[in-house]
Amino acid sequence: MISKERRILSGKGRFIDDLELPNMAHCVFIGSPYAHARIKTIDVSKALKKSGILAVLTGEDLVKRTEPLPMLSDFSGRPGWHWRAPRIYPLAVEKVRFHGEPVAAIIAETPTLALEAADLIEVEYDPLPPVLDAEEAMKKGAPLVYEEWGDNIQLHTLFNFGDVEKVFQEADRILQVSWRENRTSGFPLEPRGCLAMYEPMTETLNTWGSYQCPFRAQHYISHVLRLPQTNVRVVASDIGGGFGNKINIWKYTVVCLAAILIGRPVKWHESTREFILTGPHQRDVRWESEVAIKNDGRILGIKARFIQDLGVEISNRDYAAPSIVAACSCVPNAYRLQGLRVEAYGIVTNKSFYGAYRGFGKDKGAKFMERIMDLMSRECKLDPAELRLKNFIQPHEFPYRQISGLVYDSGNYPVIMQEALRLAEVDTWRKKQKELRQKGQYIGIGMAFVVEPAGIAAPNARFSGLVQARVRITPDGLAEVYSDRTEIGQGAERTNTLVISHILGVKPEDVIIKPVTSDTIGMGPISSRGAVYSVSALARAAKAVKSIIIKYASAFFKDDPGNIRLEDGAIYSVKNPENRLNFKELADRFYFRPGPRGLPQEMQMNHEILLDVSTSWYSPNNAQNPTTTYTTFAASADIAVLEVDIETGVTKILKYVHVHDAGKMISRDTVDGQIYGGIVQGIGEALSEELIYNERGELSTDSYADFVIPTAVDAPDIIIKHFETPSPYTELGTKGMGESPIIGSKAVIISAIEEALSPFHVRVSEAPATRERVRQWIQNGPAR
Amino acid sequence: MEIKVNHHSYQLEVEPQETLLEVLKNKLKINSLHQGCQEGECGACTVLLNGQPVCSCLILSPQADGGEVLTLEGLNRGGELHPLLEAFMENYAIQCGYCTPGMVMTAYYLINHLNNFSEESIRKGIEGNLCRCTGYVQILQAIKAAKKEKDSGRWW
Amino acid sequence: MEYHRPKELMVALTLLQELKDSCKLIAGGTDLLPAFRRGTLSLGSRPIVDLSFIKELDYIKKEKEQIRIGAVTHLSDLEGSAIIRKYAPILADALRHMGSPQIRNQGTIGGNLCNASPAADTAPPLLILEARVLLKSVEGQRVISLDQFFLGPGMTILAPGEILTEIQIPIPKDEGGFCFLKLGRRNAFTLSIISVAAWVKVKEETFQGIRIALGAVAPTPMRALKTEKYIEGQRVTEKTIDSGAKVVSSEVQPISDVRASADYRKDMSYILTRRAILSCVTPGK
Repeated sequence: MISKERRILSGKGRFIDDLELPNMAHCVFIGSPYAHARIKTIDVSKALKKSGILAVLTGEDLVKRTEPLPMLSDFSGRPGWHWRAPRIYPLAVEKVRFHGEPVAAIIAETPTLALEAADLIEVEYDPLPPVLDAEEAMKKGAPLVYEEWGDNIQLHTLFNFGDVEKVFQEADRILQVSWRENRTSGFPLEPRGCLAMYEPMTETLNTWGSYQCPFRAQHYISHVLRLPQTNVRVVASDIGGGFGNKINIWKYTVVCLAAILIGRPVKWHESTREFILTGPHQRDVRWESEVAIKNDGRILGIKARFIQDLGVEISNRDYAAPSIVAACSCVPNAYRLQGLRVEAYGIVTNKSFYGAYRGFGKDKGAKFMERIMDLMSRECKLDPAELRLKNFIQPHEFPYRQISGLVYDSGNYPVIMQEALRLAEVDTWRKKQKELRQKGQYIGIGMAFVVEPAGIAAPNARFSGLVQARVRITPDGLAEVYSDRTEIGQGAERTNTLVISHILGVKPEDVIIKPVTSDTIGMGPISSRGAVYSVSALARAAKAVKSIIIKYASAFFKDDPGNIRLEDGAIYSVKNPENRLNFKELADRFYFRPGPRGLPQEMQMNHEILLDVSTSWYSPNNAQNPTTTYTTFAASADIAVLEVDIETGVTKILKYVHVHDAGKMISRDTVDGQIYGGIVQGIGEALSEELIYNERGELSTDSYADFVIPTAVDAPDIIIKHFETPSPYTELGTKGMGESPIIGSKAVIISAIEEALSPFHVRVSEAPATRERVRQWIQNGPAR
Repeated sequence: MEIKVNHHSYQLEVEPQETLLEVLKNKLKINSLHQGCQEGECGACTVLLNGQPVCSCLILSPQADGGEVLTLEGLNRGGELHPLLEAFMENYAIQCGYCTPGMVMTAYYLINHLNNFSEESIRKGIEGNLCRCTGYVQILQAIKAAKKEKDSGRWW
Repeated sequence: MEYHRPKELMVALTLLQELKDSCKLIAGGTDLLPAFRRGTLSLGSRPIVDLSFIKELDYIKKEKEQIRIGAVTHLSDLEGSAIIRKYAPILADALRHMGSPQIRNQGTIGGNLCNASPAADTAPPLLILEARVLLKSVEGQRVISLDQFFLGPGMTILAPGEILTEIQIPIPKDEGGFCFLKLGRRNAFTLSIISVAAWVKVKEETFQGIRIALGAVAPTPMRALKTEKYIEGQRVTEKTIDSGAKVVSSEVQPISDVRASADYRKDMSYILTRRAILSCVTPGK
């Protein structure tokens, strides 16, 4: 197989932008100019008259023809949970609730014609006051996003782990900690898009595109369009980045419907502006807490109030409600905590919906804890590294049952921390810091330690653990692989290839990773599941194929199974090396020539004759420990040294070290790539990224001009070191690691800024630490 | 309009409001070019126009009349990948691949023209090519490796 | 879409005489096309006159007393020009920090000035260089000092039928130090929250001459005349520089927008002006 990279470099990419079918029409969405308004009338008649316009859909059309968007997370009936979900459609019905919410979809011969027709659609709005802040939305008298709710609370629950009251009584001191992350999201360079075509002969709705999770997309589309799942097929094209932002496919369902209605293929590819306006938003959380500690630096417990601003909802467009559960259960991070109580709120406002973005929710808990650690270090006058080392879960304690129910599989945190300190030359920098302070220059040494729980399996959100993998030796001797692990740039294709190549001994170029489709069951590459579930399932399938091959070869060569080796594309016996077949020869016999020269009788009688194994894989951790939503727990330490210009608020990263343990690595360079990329994303979150709505509820930061992500000049050089503590729960000892880099980096930059500004007694309790904010914190003086 | 794209000359009928990106993508079916931000902010649509990196989404097609365009496809020779592109592959500089076609054209220009080839000046040279996946480190490694290829004579 | 592509200036001017304000001029397109995308300008609603093929407007010439730059000269050509680097290095400096290489390869100096963004980075250097602009129409031409050219955000003194054809930079006679500083939301390829250009001439430890211009802190790029008046004639000390720079914050009229608040801009106009002046008086800084 030609690798995806080589294919793209040869001008054979298959991104949605490249896909074309004969007679293809185009879909364009028209969005609301208001953040909150009643729709009095929509008149599409003029648009329909325009030549080249094939159809115009509005919310009312969807009400007639489709199911409302399904509730993807269902916490109803769960004791102690206040939970609701709205009844909504991809196009606004009766009311618009966020700036840019789609009110119509125009299907036309060309995108240009569709845009011209947009001007002909007449919508009469009755604007309503928007509610744009979660805490404001909680107040009595606030505008209601859903009037029938009577308030703006979509989710309210209490997490209570361990014994919080007891530890608060034992505390030497109680610290007050506030921390807030503002709204941001991923927005990879390629916006969402798909191509849909209804094939009447087979009655199948086919769709290709930027689908991060084809199996789940199939389920979603079939539900919304009222089609049996067997009549919907979803194929992932090349995808220009996911980061969780392309799990949501609510707009895609309209494109699919349009294809059925007009009987022609329909393509949609949104602009970056639409992606940002109507895309999944994330972070936007606030913590207010009391932390019970001992004077010697041990953390005992936390009582917190947590508020997450959901925008219009967290339940129907994306699988995101469990992010609140994750945020709260991942607070303990790498430490021994005895009590944790969090009152959690998910509040709706007039902003785009809450979705998934790298980190999902587990990032929030960890970042909150790292803020606490830094604060504790100052209050207890302990070195921040010493403080963390003191509170770490120790190597001998694994598998460790965290009070939140998560069972941490393996790890050695002290060794990671020590190595990071050594590589970062912290002692040298501390000396430098002292010298520079005399000259009125301020550098800070920040630290963050993060445990990344990976591989979510949570019943309430259709995040079951189930995953399927299939390995098939083709009749001409190639190894075909079917996986749920969509390639989104994370190196799925490359690492899947390496796994198969390693187990079956075939050459990497003889491994064919098939495009990921809804034919293969699985949750997709979310929650860093690839290395946990998908890879384990693949390994299991490959091992099963291997054992069939060995059985056959031992019978055919009349040799002991223990002597059979699979290496370099050949199957041979170590005892009698002239007994040798290549995969083509093997496949030829298997598929076409039974009998004396073919398969052993026993195999035939037992029907074990297929070089085609489909298997599932379920996490032994989940199976044995039902409370643990996650299976593997990678860990990393970030240390950053940066300089703060106290007059302008500009920060400059002087050194960045990341020490990492993601269990057994399949491809170190691939892991490094994920680390570099995640770190730079986290730096962007820490310093400049923010989705800002103005007082009218219009999104001001609707393009890369104002949604500020790092350029190559903003990104630092990064030193990486790896440890490998295998997971006892996965087939190859691999752990998911895609998210820890984005978590630690944001935390460490905040930590370093606060550390640099410690002479000014600044407490950094908000991100992003933009230049203006940093300057303001310095000018405002000591924290209250 | 007349335009030379990847060493071939074309005579095309265009609407003046069609951007160079639209003409290259929709009329000439250049696979590597993609619709990015459409505002010149991300650089994914970067091509070399008359030897200079530009955002093709910001150029009205008549403005490229009589000009020469080079895209990623134009770097390759026969079935052989350009050493710059090999360097990108070998250094893991491609993750999702969406920024790559624009990134390599800017890199090609830099390797051919940048005098001071320091880490700092390379980073500044690709400031107009955003990447959300890689964090730029492996891209820089690839560009440096490609420069070495050029210096040792393996280049075109 | 009505589209014209004159190859000669005279043809362009004649066109403009007919079309007047109804048309939109384009050169590099780096401001116009994003405006179309954002919907602030409707593509096809107005005739477009494309100046990018008028070769006679693409030049950088050094004469005895001045540098003359054609309006359709690309920003990257200016940045790389030996003439600009020698005689107006502060302009080259500002250009290096404007946009991205792609934007600089396409964008033109005339387009940047006529777009009249208060944050245009070329304006502060040109203002302190006391640049002039040559405006032509079929009826004739006039030379305007650049500080008269900008009238407001997106508004210039160009009359209907007029095109900015040339920028003239008097070659600085006096020795002196130049400095350009810019602050954005990130380190590269960023719109200015504030930019400062300064020229200072020191004689016998006294400020003999000083010019300061700022961008993104007023409806137009501006000269800080009050500040200049305050500083000129004073002794060069940290104290006078500091108090002089403070005067800038009283002269600027920044707004709050998504990029920054007015307060921060005011604050930074003081900080950056102080640093710029210090840099001018300290060789090698």
